[in-house]
Amino acid sequence: MRSSPIYDDVAPLARRARAVFFVVAGLFLILAFSYWKIQILDYGKFWAMSEANRTREIVLPAPRAALTDRSGQIILVNNIASFKASIIRENTRDFAASCARVGALLGLDPGVIEERVDKFRSEPLFKPIVVKDDLTLEEVARIEARKLDLPELVIETEPKRFYPYGTLGAHVLGYMQELTTDELRGAFKDRRLGDRIGRMGVENSLEKRIAGTDGKLVEIVDSLGRKRDELERVDPVQPPKVVLTLDYDLQAKADEFLAGREGAIVALDPKTGGILALASSPTYDPNKFVNRFTPEEWTTLAENPDNPMLNRAIQGLYSPGSMFKLVMAAAGLDTGTIVPQTTAYCPGSIMIYGRQFRCWFEAGHGTVNLYEAIRQSCNVYFYSLGRRMNIDTIARYATELGLGRKTGIDIPGEREGLVPDTEWKKRVMKEDWYPGETISVAIGQGALQVTPVQVAEMTATIANRGTRVRPHLVLDDETQAGIVRVPSAVLNEIIEGMWRSANEGGTGAAARVDGFDVCSKTGTVQTIGRETAERLGIKPKTHSWFTGFAPRNDPRIVVTVLVEFGGSGGATSAPVAGELFKIYKAKAAGS
Amino acid sequence: MIDRVQFREIDWALIALLILNSLIGLALIYSASRLAPGNFFLRQALWLGISLIFLFLMLSIDYKLWMGISPYLMGLALAVLTALLVFGRGVSGAKSWLRLAFVGGQPSEPAKIAVLLLVALIFSDFRRTTITADIAALGGGAVLAPMLLVAAQPDLGTAMSFLPILFGAFVLAGMSRRTVAVILIGALLVGLVGWNVILKDYQKKRVLTLLNPNDDPRGSGYHVRQSRIAIGSGGLTGKGFLKGTQSQLRFLPARHTDFIFSVLGEEFGFLGVFFVLVSYFFFLARLFNSVPQSRDRAGMYINFMVACLLTFPVLVNTMMIIGLFPITGIPIPLLSYGGSSLLTTYLAVGLVLNVKMRRFVNV
Repeated sequence: MRSSPIYDDVAPLARRARAVFFVVAGLFLILAFSYWKIQILDYGKFWAMSEANRTREIVLPAPRAALTDRSGQIILVNNIASFKASIIRENTRDFAASCARVGALLGLDPGVIEERVDKFRSEPLFKPIVVKDDLTLEEVARIEARKLDLPELVIETEPKRFYPYGTLGAHVLGYMQELTTDELRGAFKDRRLGDRIGRMGVENSLEKRIAGTDGKLVEIVDSLGRKRDELERVDPVQPPKVVLTLDYDLQAKADEFLAGREGAIVALDPKTGGILALASSPTYDPNKFVNRFTPEEWTTLAENPDNPMLNRAIQGLYSPGSMFKLVMAAAGLDTGTIVPQTTAYCPGSIMIYGRQFRCWFEAGHGTVNLYEAIRQSCNVYFYSLGRRMNIDTIARYATELGLGRKTGIDIPGEREGLVPDTEWKKRVMKEDWYPGETISVAIGQGALQVTPVQVAEMTATIANRGTRVRPHLVLDDETQAGIVRVPSAVLNEIIEGMWRSANEGGTGAAARVDGFDVCSKTGTVQTIGRETAERLGIKPKTHSWFTGFAPRNDPRIVVTVLVEFGGSGGATSAPVAGELFKIYKAKAAGS
Repeated sequence: MIDRVQFREIDWALIALLILNSLIGLALIYSASRLAPGNFFLRQALWLGISLIFLFLMLSIDYKLWMGISPYLMGLALAVLTALLVFGRGVSGAKSWLRLAFVGGQPSEPAKIAVLLLVALIFSDFRRTTITADIAALGGGAVLAPMLLVAAQPDLGTAMSFLPILFGAFVLAGMSRRTVAVILIGALLVGLVGWNVILKDYQKKRVLTLLNPNDDPRGSGYHVRQSRIAIGSGGLTGKGFLKGTQSQLRFLPARHTDFIFSVLGEEFGFLGVFFVLVSYFFFLARLFNSVPQSRDRAGMYINFMVACLLTFPVLVNTMMIIGLFPITGIPIPLLSYGGSSLLTTYLAVGLVLNVKMRRFVNV
């Protein structure tokens, strides 16, 4: 090493070092201010971001209320636990590869998974999208075992709606279906992807009452989304069970009778309006909606020409046929056009306005009074009554007895039906009413359209001697009763005719039950005109109607039956009603 | 080798600041890595002991002697770095790790000491008022050769941390305005070429991310974003030791190395950050103040280059974790986990102590 010279001016070096040090000091000052800005001024923002990072809120779906029959003992709808597998897109690295792996694990076609996830692509990335419901325990175990390899796949547990009796009362109970993205954006903003709501029946109309209050779970998660701790837990609340007015035995029997046919049965308690049974056929299994449909299954159901989803009891529109003779009788008696003893001669047909109107009994009923005309359902008697009456008067009595307007039953989708009058004809057809049309209406043909539940309600009003009730399905429903402007004296005369129909060998004889005083009216509705049928050389197909109540003096049950293309009312529907009356009587005696 | 007079002249305050900052680092490493496998805390503690021993080895031999053998040290460093490139095993894509029987280490770290000594040797007899082309080329070569070898590993962060040595030497030697202009233009050219030719896509992405960290929160912006959340959510007093949610729940990447300062920010808040910045500033200030306390030019160069070498990563690291600088993978000396880095820092400080304690001795 060489020694330093005696004089070596190192002052410039020291000065330069000092300058750099001042720059460094300045940079430290800037640094301190930067940290001040982030940590003190922007503290709130970053605090919120760190909280959002570390916590995850999970909704704990509330089980819906159970629904029971009127005894409160037989559970018609309940919940069972179900596991579902969902994909969280946020956690995927390669989406297609994820789908392939998840597909292999769950035995699904990756294409189907992608399609399903794609349907909800507008949802935020962190939202789980259900790819398979109703996992078996074995599938759950398989997913759990691969949890670390597949952070995008999560298992969620939720209560699942379960209908233990399958198709029983399906149209009354309704079904559950997932909300669509449109609904989630619209009326159901507060609901989550994959949430279901009731789509029909009581599931729909009682949605608010039976939906329950969801709970929540706030978890602490790490950067991989793994749960580390629990911060807060609010348990979901299941609302108390709702007791329906349905009688399990009657409902089961009604369903059984209709199996393989198309039609509807309504049985109700005339005192309260509580529906004892409401069946519509063909039907469907609401459990199928809970588990996701395959596309084929859905097509089969949706495109079934017999339309199983239609609740014929409240949505099916039919000509009332001879059911309407009850309205005619009430109108005729109340307006003083006839008295019960007023007779008509039935030779099998009658000429009115230059046209021949036939009775269903070609041999003719001979001379009949009102009671007999109801008992035998004589057309000629009511043709001649119709000739003496104004259509608007008839329409007023029909409306008063509940036709042509909704009964107000507490499930959605009810239709109004139609009671024609001159005003309607003018408005819709732009034509005047022809008197001949009144003759058709007099025996329940023409433009008249009714639903089975309307007929049941009308029957209850008659049975109650003028007190109207609102058909309903929830037992604690407060029924608004109303008085109909038809005097009970008039209705008593009609009831005499109905009693004879069932008990004196009338058209409703097959509904007769010993010691139960059934009062009834049958109907047989031509679906094509008799003339057309004869021209085509085919036997006319007819809808089969029955309505009635029992017992005569203390009415406790109304039964209305409609079987599409079921032949005559007396032959097909009346025996079914008779069976239901019998079951009711036996149960009432037993309890 | 070391007599009592010299022993008395050891700057114990500097050693105290050095150890204080190392212990802060140790505590943060504990918080950042206690839930992860790897025993980082114990390993860092062990390295701390080893580094202290080396610090005293470093200062007990006259720095003139170290400078004298620096060409050989440099030759060794170049040989090892070249060998690494050819035979090295990659750790996360970079061939920067040398694995010996028991300890693994990054030879590029202690290589800085060899470079620093060689540059000091080169400049020790330079007495002009401004730097000349030939000596600039000589010094530049001494720094750039190992630096390029490191950059080729590729470890851009460590390669960049060689630059302060050159910066220190040039500044101390003195530069005319023209030289500064030439260097700036040269740097610009190198930058353009580097951006288009040398930088890999992921490195470019990091620079772009700096401009808008929220653009791609799951991609390269993720690190900065999570780091800023960690620091910002610490507030004034922090969430408490071991209670940082960003750190403990692993939202923060590279918690025990590059982002250790974010752990500090989250768990000890602005007060903690301020305290460590101040204590670090005192430590660096003491290094800068040591520059004139040397018996010759070589000593001044050594002290100043060490000060620059240690200041640079502190500033870059603390700026990059709050998004003021691109993420370059430069750890913060003494605080970040890393044996080689710790050892190198101790060797460097040992050199300064070496120079200072011999300032009154005339050989």
